[in-house]
Amino acid sequence: MNAESSAAPAAKSKKVVSANPADRYSNAGPSPDPWAQCALLEYGGDRSYAWTVRERVIHTPAAENGRTEDQLLKSLATPGRTEAGLAFICQMLAMVGSAKSVPALAPLLADPKTTESARYALERIAGPEAGAAFLAALGKLNGNAKAGLIGSIGVRGDVSAKAALAAIKDASAEPALVREAATRALERLATLKA
Amino acid sequence: MNSSPFSRRDFLRTSALATAVVAAPLILPSGLRGQNAPSKKITVGMIGCGNIADGHYGPLLGSPESLRVLAVCDVDRDRVKAAAARVNTAYENTDCKTFGDFRELNRRPDIDAVFICTPDHWHALIAIDAMRNGKDVYIEKPLTLTIAEGRAVVEAARKYGRVAQHGTQHRSMKRFHDVAEFVRNNGLGKLDRIDCWIPPNNRFCDATWKPEAAPANLDWDLWLGPAPWRPYSSIGCHYNFRFISESAYGQVTNWGAHYLDIGQWALGMDDSGPVSVEGKGEFPSSGLFTNATNVNFTVRYANGIPMHCRTRYEGGGTARFVGERGWLDIARDKMSASDPNLLREMQAPNKPIQLELSKNHQDNFFECVRSRARPIADVELGHRTTTVCNLGQIAMVLGRKLQWDPAKEEFVGDEVANRLRTRAMRSPWSLA
Repeated sequence: MNAESSAAPAAKSKKVVSANPADRYSNAGPSPDPWAQCALLEYGGDRSYAWTVRERVIHTPAAENGRTEDQLLKSLATPGRTEAGLAFICQMLAMVGSAKSVPALAPLLADPKTTESARYALERIAGPEAGAAFLAALGKLNGNAKAGLIGSIGVRGDVSAKAALAAIKDASAEPALVREAATRALERLATLKA
Repeated sequence: MNSSPFSRRDFLRTSALATAVVAAPLILPSGLRGQNAPSKKITVGMIGCGNIADGHYGPLLGSPESLRVLAVCDVDRDRVKAAAARVNTAYENTDCKTFGDFRELNRRPDIDAVFICTPDHWHALIAIDAMRNGKDVYIEKPLTLTIAEGRAVVEAARKYGRVAQHGTQHRSMKRFHDVAEFVRNNGLGKLDRIDCWIPPNNRFCDATWKPEAAPANLDWDLWLGPAPWRPYSSIGCHYNFRFISESAYGQVTNWGAHYLDIGQWALGMDDSGPVSVEGKGEFPSSGLFTNATNVNFTVRYANGIPMHCRTRYEGGGTARFVGERGWLDIARDKMSASDPNLLREMQAPNKPIQLELSKNHQDNFFECVRSRARPIADVELGHRTTTVCNLGQIAMVLGRKLQWDPAKEEFVGDEVANRLRTRAMRSPWSLA
């Protein structure tokens, strides 16, 4: 939630809405919620709200990252979320996201239109929940997006994906780019302990 | 980490050891195709044809008896045409091949070495692809964008047995060598600190921007490559990419790669690094550029010595070494000291610790292409210096003190900082 807007008391004697007690004579209205506004970010547009969110994400004590993650997941669900907004939120989740974010990100990972941003966040989230999301998306993406997905699996070091990647490597129906990505990922996984 | 007995760093050059060095094993040539015979011209491909590449053409084209630039590559067709014309003019022919995609150049069997002069976010992938295809690589600084990329480049160099030089040419400038060697030999007495100053970021244009149509001569998608997608903007492409953190970390890596590198050299940290970092940067909250306009961070080594890095708004980069006997300032164009005697002492022969002396960075690279020895700025030390730059960037972004384990190459007890050691690449690109 936005602390400023939730704490904003309505002025009684004047018909204005103040952003906070210090601004009780202002008629500027409540401050927009940066957690919602950052989802509406446009390329080349005002990124001040995104900056505010970024500062909060970065400077929140580690013990409170869960709360920050909750706020980012609310941002993710903002109606009218833009492409740039999604990319920004996922950049933040790449820093503080956990298994809690996976249910929201998994459908985005499997969608060619949103997979890049979702992968940006999910690649940095350790654990089997994110790993399962990557495996599930393998069957739903093609071409470049699938190659990128496979690369992330390799970078994550998910040895449980070996069988799935081996099948892709040997699948003649897959384009060379995808098969090569599977080969490289398998080479990387081969250097790791199961 | 380099465990080779022929580490070219920091060896004690006694006469006995010098003999041992001559007899020491070298990097095995991977091709064994006779391509390294001294009589053979080394063939070169240039990847990236911007201002950094421009600085290489003079020496490269000025040695036609030993070198031959066969091909140039850039995602900007105008730039690649201009580069090819320059090569063809020098050779008085029309033979220079042009490419828009580095993968095609890297797959040419007739090219021995490539120079990588692209934006930073491309360095690692192009270098690894080149080495996988049997090329030796000269990688412009910073070695890579992220710490994980740097380690991957080092691993690729070792895996494929390639010569890989980091483009930190201060390593091949006698002035910097002399200072590093003097400090290593306690010429300043007990070292107190190192102060590095770097030029400011974001000073060349306003960062207000709107998406534009990419010019017809530019393959914008390939320019972005592994970086997160964004629409083209004329102020966020050539040169200015360095002020956008998706592509580079600004002067922290652009100039920090040079001056922090000399600090690493003087401290004997070529295969290690500091153990903590703290910093505070001033980052723009609006506009296209996202790197710090005011840089201020300090890394500290296990022996307690700090190395500071700060923005200097007037003048170029410089490094100052401060010890109990005084201070030494070193820059590309000058050197000074608190006491002139320090400069005289610096030239004294037979110091116990003698650092390798290279007189020319390109020459050193090509000598190593022939000999298969490790170059003066081998990728391991390039990676370690680039890591120091990254540590400063991450500490400024997070605004808190961080502990760093240089052996494991990970932050101690800070999950968010550790996540910033790498980043997902846009498809189809990957470090895997």
